[in-house]
Amino acid sequence: MRPEDLVFATVMLPLLGAAFALCANMFPKGKGADTVEFIGAGIGLLLPLIVLANVFPLVTGGNAIEGVIGSWHEGIGITFSFDGLALLINILGYTVGIAAWIYSLGGGPRGPAFTGIFLIQCAALSATIMTNDLFNLFVCLEIMGMTSYVLIPTSRKAGASLASFSYLMVSASAMVFFLLGTYGLYRLTGSLSFQGIEAGLALLGSTQRILSLACLTLLVSAVAIRVAIMPLYGWLPDAHALSPHAVSAVLSGVLIKTPLFALARILHLLPEGTKIGELMSIAGALTAVVAVVIALSQRDAKRLLAYHSISQIGYIVAAWGMALRWGIDTPEGLACMVGAFLHAFYHALFKGLLFLSVGTTVDVTGERNVYLLRSSIASLKGRGERIPITFIAFVTGALAISAIPPLNGYVSKDLITYSLKGTVHYVLLSIASVGTVASFIKLSRIYWRGTKVAAQASLSTETTPYWPRLVAEVLLSLLCIAGGVASHLIIPVVSDLLAPANVIAIANANLFSTDSLVKTAWTVASGTLLFFAATSRPGSVVLRIVRERPRDFHGLFISFALGTAVLAGYLLI
Amino acid sequence: MNDGKTAWRNIRIFASLVLIGAVMAPIFLSDASWPVTARDYLMAQGQAESGAVNLVSAIYLGYRAFDTLGETIVLLIAVTGTLSLLARVESLVSPGPEDTSSPNAKGFSLSLEKRVSHALRTNLLEEVTGKVGPIVLLFGFYVMLYGHLSPGGGFQGGVIIASGIVFLALGNPYEDKSVLVRPAILGGMENIAFLLFILSAMSGVFLEEGFFGNPLAVSGTPEGFIILMNCIIGMKVGSSLAFMCIVMMGGANHD
Repeated sequence: MRPEDLVFATVMLPLLGAAFALCANMFPKGKGADTVEFIGAGIGLLLPLIVLANVFPLVTGGNAIEGVIGSWHEGIGITFSFDGLALLINILGYTVGIAAWIYSLGGGPRGPAFTGIFLIQCAALSATIMTNDLFNLFVCLEIMGMTSYVLIPTSRKAGASLASFSYLMVSASAMVFFLLGTYGLYRLTGSLSFQGIEAGLALLGSTQRILSLACLTLLVSAVAIRVAIMPLYGWLPDAHALSPHAVSAVLSGVLIKTPLFALARILHLLPEGTKIGELMSIAGALTAVVAVVIALSQRDAKRLLAYHSISQIGYIVAAWGMALRWGIDTPEGLACMVGAFLHAFYHALFKGLLFLSVGTTVDVTGERNVYLLRSSIASLKGRGERIPITFIAFVTGALAISAIPPLNGYVSKDLITYSLKGTVHYVLLSIASVGTVASFIKLSRIYWRGTKVAAQASLSTETTPYWPRLVAEVLLSLLCIAGGVASHLIIPVVSDLLAPANVIAIANANLFSTDSLVKTAWTVASGTLLFFAATSRPGSVVLRIVRERPRDFHGLFISFALGTAVLAGYLLI
Repeated sequence: MNDGKTAWRNIRIFASLVLIGAVMAPIFLSDASWPVTARDYLMAQGQAESGAVNLVSAIYLGYRAFDTLGETIVLLIAVTGTLSLLARVESLVSPGPEDTSSPNAKGFSLSLEKRVSHALRTNLLEEVTGKVGPIVLLFGFYVMLYGHLSPGGGFQGGVIIASGIVFLALGNPYEDKSVLVRPAILGGMENIAFLLFILSAMSGVFLEEGFFGNPLAVSGTPEGFIILMNCIIGMKVGSSLAFMCIVMMGGANHD
């Protein structure tokens, strides 16, 4: 098998698995249908891991496997390029995908249709990150979006369909602008491949510069909606909070990051990429702070987690943008990119873990309100957890997101702040860390002993087994711990995969230095203080104002227009 | 107070339209010359490489077949989503069992017709659609099979086939007569067509042509692959659209 066929198998295997799973629909419900569906899931989720292990030696040291789909001539067919970044994003996607699928066996949704669409989503992720063709990127983003619109309402929660619909409307209109940008760039350069566009734009005279800037602006702001950067985040909290827990984990963990890294692949080829990166990184750092304040004010447990996803994606965008600003072939830029990817990966692990463990807790107790739910450990024990595994999983995730050593969140956040030292982002991200600590103290209260004992939901009637939930939680917890403890092994590998061919990968940074540990102690102390301030009477008044701020549907479109115009203006001057 | 709020909202919406318009204006006003490289290449090589006289099918089933797979997947997901939405709506609004058999149900049928089933249909409708259905099906197959030579192809042919199936369903008063109009059969056909699409897209790998490569590229009849793909897409589009229409007509209840 040729190497380019091997890497493209990461797209085709999940699709084959999805086709198998969907065919399970034709069998009468029972053992036969289940077997076919499980074979499909095995093909779609496990075989790609074997492929990735085989591809690994081929893409280290800045190598990439390039090819044209269908072996057509370059320039007319769809080109793809599988590099270290694509390998890393694939690992991210399949790890969380496997955990979430296992969880869905216990926590729902179940059925061949769910498995099929879930696998199609995995295939779309893989295709998005390796494509080298702008129109193909559009198609992949559409498939990713479509699968989410269908998966979100499968939770059958009140409002889930509306959340999915508002996501659909916002994202579909954004994709129209993406398509317009693609059209403009094709008209200017006569090419759809990233390299062709780069070469075409370099030849253009200054008269066409405005057109190329307008096209780039539309592409970037359409992707920014998908990534949910301030001020384009409005669709995310409802969609992520109301979808089934397993789907929330994938949406928050994987889906919002893939378009960002796919965008980096074209932006780092263009001279405008540095300016776009600079503006996006500032927006990202602001997002991190604003979203954490809103998260702190939330009442619904899963909505609180959803706002944290926005805040954490802010960290990633801040580092990602500075990597583009400095250029990925400089040591500083590379360090930023490694930080951005590691945080994306680790966030996928701990946020997935948090969504699953909090999801189990709210299912068992039947209560989502953080202010009312108490003594959840007792409820979990009532459900048959002799050791409160779900509680331990939650603590692991909460400590990781609050960046407590030696968990993985500490490593990636430290790497980001370390590489951004001396910029305004550093200050903003430090403030965001304090807010993260405070809001997770607030969320952890659902496990505290309280006078208000949560009602036990009648889960005894459910037909699905309980153990797959625990398996998924244990799997992600172990990965969170391993990601922190083995960081000195992981960081060199990641930086070797991300470094361009002629750049020396960064040596291991001293992450567990006294300075960093002291800073962590300060962050925790101020976070605790902030938590007490937030629970005081004036604090809760402020939080209520933040929580009940007016949010409307067309506000999303207005902020999209505003963000696009700001980006265009910034590029022009 | 309320008027002020509305006015302020309208101002904001107007301003955002102006902003977006300003960003998009260069794209619409551009006088850049149209790129010709791809066009000239297709004129010179398209037919020889893909075997299709209709260069449109050479593009969407040859050069950019992967995008086409993406579009069929979008259709597949959209149908799945619509069906699950329909199932939920039906459970909310479906009338009780005594409602459906009511002889006084309001319909389009004439008073003399004395219909025993489907109050919303007429004898005229059933006669015409029942007779036209097979012809429409035949035309759909023509458009699908000749997609590589003349305008048409799997998507267009599939839509015509779907309308043929819907005609057949409308044209017989007892829906169990034709196997083709049973939702379970149509759903199965859709899934099998998707599986076939993936398998035929993978077939090139074993002949060193790569995924989506034409396994017949060196055989002298490369158009065979395009005909095969057109048939699979036609089957997929036809069955999924017909499936959705028949479920919307309430056919699933008779299953």
